[in-house]
Amino acid sequence: MGYSVPRKFPTTVVGSYPKMPSALEAIKRRRSGEISESEFNEMVKVAVRDVVEDHLWAGVDIISDGEQAREDMVVYFAERFKGYSVGDWVRVFDNEYFRKPVVTGRVEWLRPITVELWEYASSISAGRPVKGILTGPYTMIEWSFDLHYRDRRELILDLAKAIRREVEELVRRGARYIQIDEPALSTRPWREDAELLKEALDIIFKGLEAKRIVHICFGRLERILPYILDYPVDQFDLEMKNSNFRLLPYLKEYGYNKEIGFGVVDVHSFQVESVKEIKEAIDKLMKTDIVSPEKAYIDPDCGLKRLPRDIAKAKLKNMVEAARQAREEW
Amino acid sequence: MSVWASPLGGYPRSRVVRRALRDYERGLLGYGELERVVGEASSLIIGSQLSSGLTYVVDGMVDWHDIFRPFIESWRNVTASGLLRYFDNNFFYRIPVFTEKPEASKLVWAPRVRRYAPLAEPSGLKIVVPGPVTFTSMSINKTGYSNEELAEAIAKLLADEVKAAIEAGASMVQVDEPMLADHDATRDEALLAVELVNSIVASAGGAKTALALYFDVPRGEVYDAILDVKANCISLDVVDAPERALKLIESKGFSDHCGILGLVNSRTIYDDPVDKLVEVALRVARSSKVGEMGVTTTTWLDLIPYSYSLRKTYLLGVLTLKIQENVGVAGGV
Ligand SMILES: [Zn+2]
Repeated sequence: MGYSVPRKFPTTVVGSYPKMPSALEAIKRRRSGEISESEFNEMVKVAVRDVVEDHLWAGVDIISDGEQAREDMVVYFAERFKGYSVGDWVRVFDNEYFRKPVVTGRVEWLRPITVELWEYASSISAGRPVKGILTGPYTMIEWSFDLHYRDRRELILDLAKAIRREVEELVRRGARYIQIDEPALSTRPWREDAELLKEALDIIFKGLEAKRIVHICFGRLERILPYILDYPVDQFDLEMKNSNFRLLPYLKEYGYNKEIGFGVVDVHSFQVESVKEIKEAIDKLMKTDIVSPEKAYIDPDCGLKRLPRDIAKAKLKNMVEAARQAREEW
Repeated sequence: MSVWASPLGGYPRSRVVRRALRDYERGLLGYGELERVVGEASSLIIGSQLSSGLTYVVDGMVDWHDIFRPFIESWRNVTASGLLRYFDNNFFYRIPVFTEKPEASKLVWAPRVRRYAPLAEPSGLKIVVPGPVTFTSMSINKTGYSNEELAEAIAKLLADEVKAAIEAGASMVQVDEPMLADHDATRDEALLAVELVNSIVASAGGAKTALALYFDVPRGEVYDAILDVKANCISLDVVDAPERALKLIESKGFSDHCGILGLVNSRTIYDDPVDKLVEVALRVARSSKVGEMGVTTTTWLDLIPYSYSLRKTYLLGVLTLKIQENVGVAGGV
């Protein structure tokens, strides 16, 4: 494991990457019951290899498995935790539907879920650390139905315990970066909701020997910010580029003192940001004087899954080069 | 005090409708056949509301992809573009992009009303339109006009929609302004919305009219402005954030409007605690002294699976009946 992550402006990814054809095929065949979970993981590894190759080609320091196994960030875990049932069809947009999971019993962790693919990615990453990435408990409850608990707090705390077990498995096998994704949090930016998640994160992260990261994106981040500053995390990974960095003055105002995962690449735009543009974004962060270069992780706003692969790849490449230039200056 | 019920808005698609739409989009099904499937599905949805005793029913709007889409598709100078999250739901709408002030090329509601109002008897058919302020603020405005001017242009078309729908036989008109319930909504936006909603409901003749706010509870200063609206009713969600909602209603009431309460939670799938909700309704009735109460769902019903939307419709009927009984017992709270 000879790779040393740069001290200043380490580059990373939020997690997801365009789905490779082999991953899509594996998801389809698993769904139709043609293949077992272990055969599924084997098939997905082909896709993970492609993702890791792209990440290495671009020069990203802390990479991911591209979440190739995850058809949907909530459904993937719901299908593998005890207590969830397959739901009925609910619309996502237009005439596109998905089976929204339903909690029908006590939620429990059964067996490692993400570990095998994390380990595989780590084995081919040329020593670069691979993030362990899990969907957070708040997003899990917000984006599924509940027929069992009828009490959000009870449910979120049981989910936190289940997620904690998965985190422990990852850390035991050497994961040094654990990221909990909570895109749902910014959609309901209320103190009660933020406090509920804090309680859950206390369970997930307590005494953990790894970098503790929470990813939040889109929506009203500035409204949620004051409620989350005392979360037990080392880093917030934040979408910034898409909202034109309007969060920066708020971070300054609230005396932000954690590490930041600084989103410099818009995952909704097919236009590849130039090195100059990304470098200027990093300069902007530095000039706002919130964090030191050692505490600034450079990454895209969010997962890259909705982009064509060549665009995702090009964006990462420019991001890495911009971070390299920033290291010389700051 | 009179108490009646109506679902807030659209229904989810049954499997048959999803398939028909998919086949239609792939060119495997003709428009006439799609129309037939949608017509049958809408009739069933109307029937489920009638058998639950609802006073104002909706046709279900199962052919709408989102609340803006049918209007965009019936107007010139606006198109549907990329997807954006619809409030705090895991549902995405297509952002309308206006390149000029919109002009109507056809009507959305009048033909539907002609088709479904007779089926809705003895209840009345309710039509729902997106409020101009919500419409504008959730769109991209490339017209060169201000958002206020764009909202005015939208309001004008919606007023025409309402006028034609009433002539076609609609019994109730609801204007949805969920954006005003948003924490960041301003008093100025509320004042504009009220002015424009007034211009829309002025076309409703003697039909019942309502302004609906949901997904959250409006802030006090926004609600103060809303209380001046000339719609007959104001509709609020009272169970998503019950503390804030009840505090608002108890401190400010509904002025001289009828109050419509979103009591049946249409974003969860468990059976609502009917007896507890009766208590909430009575508490609101006592504190706000409304002379007329509408009972509704917290949001449109299209965010849950089809089977549950039917269950919630039934529960809405049961709840309303219980409230009516209790109001009677209490001697008109
Ligand atoms: Zn994200």
